[in-house]
Amino acid sequence: MNTTLNLSAAPHARDKWTTPFIMRMVTLSLLPATIVGILVYGWNAFGIVALAIVAAVASEWLFCKVCKKPSTIWDGSAVVTGLLLALSLGPQTPLYIPVIGSVFAIVVCKGCFGGLGKNFINPALAARCFLLISFANAMAIKPLVDAVATATPVGAMKAGEAVDITRMFLGTADGVIGSSILALLAGGLLLWSMDIIHGQICFSVLIGFTVFLGLFGGKGFDPAYLLAHLCGGGVVMGAFFMATDYVTSPVSRLGQFIYGCLIGILGGLFRLKGNTADSFSYAIIIGNVCSPLIDTYIVQKPFAYRKMIGKTRKTRKEPFRIPRPVIALTLIAAIAGVALSGVYSMTKDTIEEQKLLAEAASYKEVCPEAETFEISDTAKAKLEELSGANWGTDFGATRINEAFVGKDASGNLAGYALSVSSKGFGGDVTMALGLTPDGKVSKIAFTELNETAGLGMRADEDAFKDQFPGKSGSVSLVKGDAGEDQISAITGATVTSTAVTNALNAGLDFYETVLKGGN
Amino acid sequence: MKNTFRGGVHPAGHKDLSRESRLRLFDPKGEMVFPLSMHIGKPAKPVVKKNDEVKVGQLLAEADGFVSAPIHSSCSGKVKAIEKRRVLGGGMAECIVIDNDGLFTPAEDYSQRTEPSTLSNSDIIERVQKAGIVGLGGAGFPTAVKLQPKNPDAIEYVIANGAECEPYLTCNDQLMRIHSNEIAEGLELVLRLFPNAEGVICIEDNKPEAIEAMSIAVSDKPKISVRAMITKYPQGGERSLIQAVAGVDFPTSKLPADVGCVVQNVGTLYAIQRAVLYGEPLFSQCFTITGEAVTEPGNYMVRVGTSYAELLEAAGGVKEGLEIRKALSGGPMMGIAIGSLDIPIQKQNNGLTLLATDPVEEAETVMTSCLRCGRCTTVCPMGLTPQLMADAAIAGDLERYEKKLYGMDCIQCGSCSFACPAKRPLTPTFKQAKAEILEKRKREGGAQK
Repeated sequence: MNTTLNLSAAPHARDKWTTPFIMRMVTLSLLPATIVGILVYGWNAFGIVALAIVAAVASEWLFCKVCKKPSTIWDGSAVVTGLLLALSLGPQTPLYIPVIGSVFAIVVCKGCFGGLGKNFINPALAARCFLLISFANAMAIKPLVDAVATATPVGAMKAGEAVDITRMFLGTADGVIGSSILALLAGGLLLWSMDIIHGQICFSVLIGFTVFLGLFGGKGFDPAYLLAHLCGGGVVMGAFFMATDYVTSPVSRLGQFIYGCLIGILGGLFRLKGNTADSFSYAIIIGNVCSPLIDTYIVQKPFAYRKMIGKTRKTRKEPFRIPRPVIALTLIAAIAGVALSGVYSMTKDTIEEQKLLAEAASYKEVCPEAETFEISDTAKAKLEELSGANWGTDFGATRINEAFVGKDASGNLAGYALSVSSKGFGGDVTMALGLTPDGKVSKIAFTELNETAGLGMRADEDAFKDQFPGKSGSVSLVKGDAGEDQISAITGATVTSTAVTNALNAGLDFYETVLKGGN
Repeated sequence: MKNTFRGGVHPAGHKDLSRESRLRLFDPKGEMVFPLSMHIGKPAKPVVKKNDEVKVGQLLAEADGFVSAPIHSSCSGKVKAIEKRRVLGGGMAECIVIDNDGLFTPAEDYSQRTEPSTLSNSDIIERVQKAGIVGLGGAGFPTAVKLQPKNPDAIEYVIANGAECEPYLTCNDQLMRIHSNEIAEGLELVLRLFPNAEGVICIEDNKPEAIEAMSIAVSDKPKISVRAMITKYPQGGERSLIQAVAGVDFPTSKLPADVGCVVQNVGTLYAIQRAVLYGEPLFSQCFTITGEAVTEPGNYMVRVGTSYAELLEAAGGVKEGLEIRKALSGGPMMGIAIGSLDIPIQKQNNGLTLLATDPVEEAETVMTSCLRCGRCTTVCPMGLTPQLMADAAIAGDLERYEKKLYGMDCIQCGSCSFACPAKRPLTPTFKQAKAEILEKRKREGGAQK
């Protein structure tokens, strides 16, 4: 009898699924989106994907080496991290960005917390957020067609414009490399059908997001509106590939459901009220850090403790119960809704007051020659006739709020001051526009500007505002150097630039048709 | 109604190796070893001395207390010694050793049939007790105790367990095909003890021949039905069957009888029929010897006390060119790894699986950290959260393991370890944690006294 019999505790059989197998399946399911991305956006996209993966694997290898730990690159998780990061970057991103991101993801987010299974936030997402904050300019999604200033679909939606859902669905619209909804859905549903990702996470994210936008988006459950929001801004990628990350999501089914709803609702809230298109990443990160808390309080009870025990099917009666997830979702939605409307109604009046004060001061600023401001009857009549409707048809969603004629100390015409609002990226861009007596711009000042820090907010810098004095008639927006009657757009903030230009043109047009001649 | 439970896994069956091999009686030649503890409860007390002549079916040791079972000889010959021998599990235990004369002379005539109608309920229980019948599914709980719950009228289901969900094993399949009438009769005898119960014979749907044979056998018995169960491990677990048949989940602190169910393995029912109607004590049971490393895998009626090594010889030994890497008493999911084949087969054993490769050894090469993927939670038939339990057990937080995570409700079926893609050794961790908690309870209980 041989003496080399192995001893070990039961069970003595193992399933064929391994960690590398799961990672391979996730990689495989991301491939369609990767391929579409590379086909649509070209070689730079390929470079980003390749560099992100290589950098992720290399830094994992190096980290293990430095820490004198056995190498873990064979488990395939670094490849997934690199690929996910690459797919969430814009196709025109400079090539050093994915490298920095991958190194950050692997070393800081994963390695330093103990490697696979120990990180508290999704490494790829954390790296993306790190890049967004640190390299705002380089991370900006630049449009494919360079001639006209266009906005990414989410930007356009935030500006209240229509978007082409078909293009978003196929992945040919401006966006990140992995923005083809069709390809992402194919991969995500494959993973779900194989039970690799949990349906209760991805679908509750989508449902939470949709329900929140339906309730608070102001358009009701309009399918076109909801679909456009679902297709944009990484919602699908987030729901299927980011939020479902095993390590950073809760364990119990109910916990997963709550976690998913939380992400969906936060995502919706940030989409409506936030001022960045990348809000969904932050929603998932917040979900990630909440999941240990959820795990602490929501522990799945064994079957035997869940319902009435001791009775067989023959002798017991099943009482009807509302499924717990339904109660949880309703509660969360209700609490979020009440909190939101409460904060709004409490701060509404104060905000309005502040606005008026700011406006009064800004008229003085943009029209410094004037001592007093009067409203002319024609202007008043015209504004009442408009009663908040958009001015003209050529200026997008732009409204004339107020219009004054400025008089100097001796009562002579000293200029004009207007308050004009246009839809920007983070809500209305409202500016005070000062004109000289002959209709030239004297100065502009912003009274309401909630754009992206580092991008749209740069509209308030002198470098941008100083382009305006002296302009008259109508101006156009260009990228790069501006000529006569042109305004140079802020890099990476086309929506904001367009809004300002529209507001300016509307103000000048209002002058031409209504105010001209001291009316 | 779905004929299955929640969770579970689908390990490769490997049943084709031995499923068509007919049950045949195996008569060993060498010495026979009878451990005094082949059941749950107190070990039996020997009633024979060294050099006593014994015959097949003769009492060797009597039950010591209510939860205990007597032991009978499975051969004829002379008592050689009563001494410590190595037994299943690796330890040494008190055993009666008999020098087998190879004649197998029976002590009594076991072919005289008693008509069931002449027997009272207490006769049935007494005969089962005297025959030393224990649960042959693996646990070895004295059957007579199981047949006497506090309130027999409250029993709603008597479940005959013919699921045989353990991979590789096929002896119950063969037993049901050949002895379907005996099993049905055994179940009928048990049903007499429980007036309000119906009998359900559960068989996994990968055994169509057994389902057919049993269906024919019960066709004239209105209180008994045969149910084809979905093939899924651990379908043959007591709790899985009760969940599937009666729709009840119950914690491990309760017994099946507390929820109106009695579960008996088909092998046990066969033994009950033999004992009650023919007076034959339990000295043999069906047994599968199988695995890739065996020359002729097959099913046998083996005599208790036969050594594993001798049975392997009868099955043609180890396959030419192969070496055994792992030997399992039972199948791969719940079987016990054995270091030496020179140990006796006990009453509750039902298989020997010899593997040329060790899946555990192979899995260890691809082990990673826990991914928290949740597969263990999905497959757990008890609805536990193995990944959190493992965290708590490894961190030594037994309080959380026991109170918050219900870790004592683990039935150690091995589904979580099987399913884990990171190849974490979950089930052994829980076994250890449970042992530690029981130890602690014992200590604290002792301190209070």
